[in-house]
Amino acid sequence: MITPIVEADHLVKRFPLARSLAALISREPQEFVHAVDDVSLEIYPGETLGLIGESGSGKTTLGWLLAKLHEPTAGQIRFEGRDITDLSGRDLLKWRRNLQVVFQDPVGSLDPRLRVWQLVGEPILAQEKVRREDLKSRVAELLQIVDLPAGVLNQYPHEFSGGGRQRLSLARALSVRPKVLILDEPTSALDVAVQAQVLNRLVALQRELGLSYLLITHNVAAVRYVADRVAVMYLGRIVEIGAVDEVLERPIHPYTKALLAALPKADPRRRRARFRIGGEVPTLVHPPPGCRFAPRCPFVIDRCIAEDPPLRPIPGRPGRAAACHRAEEIGDVPPEQLLSSPENPASPMTTSAG
Amino acid sequence: MNGMPEPVLDVQGLSIDYEVGAGTFHALSDVSVQLSPGRVVGIVGETGSGKSTLAHAIPRLLREPPARIRSGRIFFQGVNVLELPKWKLPLLRGTGIGMIFQEPINSLNPAYRVFDQVAEAVTIRKLRESGVAPTLFPSAEPHDYSRGTRVKTGEAILHAVVPRVPNWLPSARREALMKDVLDYLRLVRINDPETILDLYPHELSGGMRQRIMIAIALSGKPSLLIADEPTSALDITIQAQVLTLMKELMDEVRTSILFISHDLGVIAEMADDVGVLYAGHLVELGPVDEVYTNPRHPYTKLLMRAIPNRYKRAGPLPALTGSVPSLANVPPGCPFHPRCPLAQKICGSDPGPVLEAATGASVRTHLAACYFSDEVASLP
Repeated sequence: MITPIVEADHLVKRFPLARSLAALISREPQEFVHAVDDVSLEIYPGETLGLIGESGSGKTTLGWLLAKLHEPTAGQIRFEGRDITDLSGRDLLKWRRNLQVVFQDPVGSLDPRLRVWQLVGEPILAQEKVRREDLKSRVAELLQIVDLPAGVLNQYPHEFSGGGRQRLSLARALSVRPKVLILDEPTSALDVAVQAQVLNRLVALQRELGLSYLLITHNVAAVRYVADRVAVMYLGRIVEIGAVDEVLERPIHPYTKALLAALPKADPRRRRARFRIGGEVPTLVHPPPGCRFAPRCPFVIDRCIAEDPPLRPIPGRPGRAAACHRAEEIGDVPPEQLLSSPENPASPMTTSAG
Repeated sequence: MNGMPEPVLDVQGLSIDYEVGAGTFHALSDVSVQLSPGRVVGIVGETGSGKSTLAHAIPRLLREPPARIRSGRIFFQGVNVLELPKWKLPLLRGTGIGMIFQEPINSLNPAYRVFDQVAEAVTIRKLRESGVAPTLFPSAEPHDYSRGTRVKTGEAILHAVVPRVPNWLPSARREALMKDVLDYLRLVRINDPETILDLYPHELSGGMRQRIMIAIALSGKPSLLIADEPTSALDITIQAQVLTLMKELMDEVRTSILFISHDLGVIAEMADDVGVLYAGHLVELGPVDEVYTNPRHPYTKLLMRAIPNRYKRAGPLPALTGSVPSLANVPPGCPFHPRCPLAQKICGSDPGPVLEAATGASVRTHLAACYFSDEVASLP
């Protein structure tokens, strides 16, 4: 049994909503945004765990919790078996060299007034005392790792293209030789061609340096290529988890099926099918009772509204877990059934059991 | 183009520069596109390829300066919009050319309620239809998709002179427009539109805002609709809903659409024809099935192969090396030649290859700007 490098155990994060003075005086109960609600997961050494979800699913909050950038409301985080939930001060600073984050927005997360060598070297200076010349040469090495020319040491981040800035963020995160990288939407600001370059670099780096990744994204194509396992989040919960090819080829949870059916395919011969999942993502302030996907789910039964389904292993599917009461019944329904062609609009959604 | 109906839009040799302090940027170079009635033409390109410049140039929404139209003509229903005087341009928009922008939160007015924003578009169209307001183009009426009764010209003039209801009363005005506004909101599949009439844009979700944008654009009954990345700001399942809606509306409304997107998947779903922009040059144009299955320009082929569609164990993604050239410094000849695996000496000399029927293509309307288009199929 391999020990996971990062473990989240029933993590909860609630953000209190701002209250008006009137609400305070009338003693209305405090309302919360339930960003992450009872999430448990493990990341193993050397693997990539993909975390897919739409905006508002809590995937970024979960990443920040694991990186100790937010304090969890409840639950435990373990790193290499050690409880780090309450780490603070110097201990926390020292621990940070183990785990680094590549942030979503490469423009907003790079200080525009720092030169490349200062930017990329900043995390090193936070950890140890280094002479300026040594720092510059270490930064030059890092730039080489992420395929940037060494001549850019004295440039500013605005002089780089989107892909270049993303590489700078990556070099900055790698500067303290972390064991785990949390990649928050690393390619969503990039074009297809540049995205392919960055994804290739990420996969190669993982092999060379033995890193573990948590890849947070809404981009299913990127997850398919980079991840070993994938977790699907919806409204603060993990609804399905498993090996990447298993989840993407044979999704169990209706939300995963809907997500995969909704992807536009770059193949004009496969179009003209229409998407049939209606509704919008409900707010995280008042999550629906019972299963959170029930209001949009085509397979909904009374039990889904009454009873919250736990994330449970699915018999006959090794390494898979899903949070759905009807997982056994609908597990084999292909995602394409959530589409209908205009020629053949109505096909009954309820499947015959068995 | 014999036997073809007159195109709604005919862009000929359009070249646009941006002149800013840092230099001159060639955003579009000699771009020609035609749009026949009822067709959907997709334009696909990476960031900085000039696709939004093209979308904004057609209804003359570019700020000039810094933009400068160097050459070319844009015929919309036979009228060259580049020669229209400035005061006539608003007459072109709304009922002639409708527009759906990428970020509905930025293009809806934050200070007005949903009802007023849709009602404004409906009012303008009705005034133009009834002849009360001047118009350049009578609005196209391929299908009565409002399902409302059309205002007869005589009646409208009569009402304008002798109003039966005092239509300076806000409530009376609202009543008169209510039916149309509700019809358009139902057209974009908003259930219970009555409940959102008095909301402001910030109170709505992204998908809902984009539906309202579409309702506003359609309520002008434009003969050309330009959609500039209409779903790029939306989540995947919401994007699928909006695309499905647009597809259904295309069948009902039969407006011609120019659909701009960076997403090859979205274009494959929506378009009949597709044009590929690279560094301001249109490098390939043709029916979408042909271009996707049998690309005739190396850039198109390599771009499509860069879409991640495999697992890690299948080896690295076939990436395009290098990066898109700066528009201030577009390479001479074919703009793609420095990155192209097929490039020869001739590719780097001016004038570059022109967009013409591609050798090796199976239909005559499949055009590519490449000297070696018959060799593209042999690329890995």
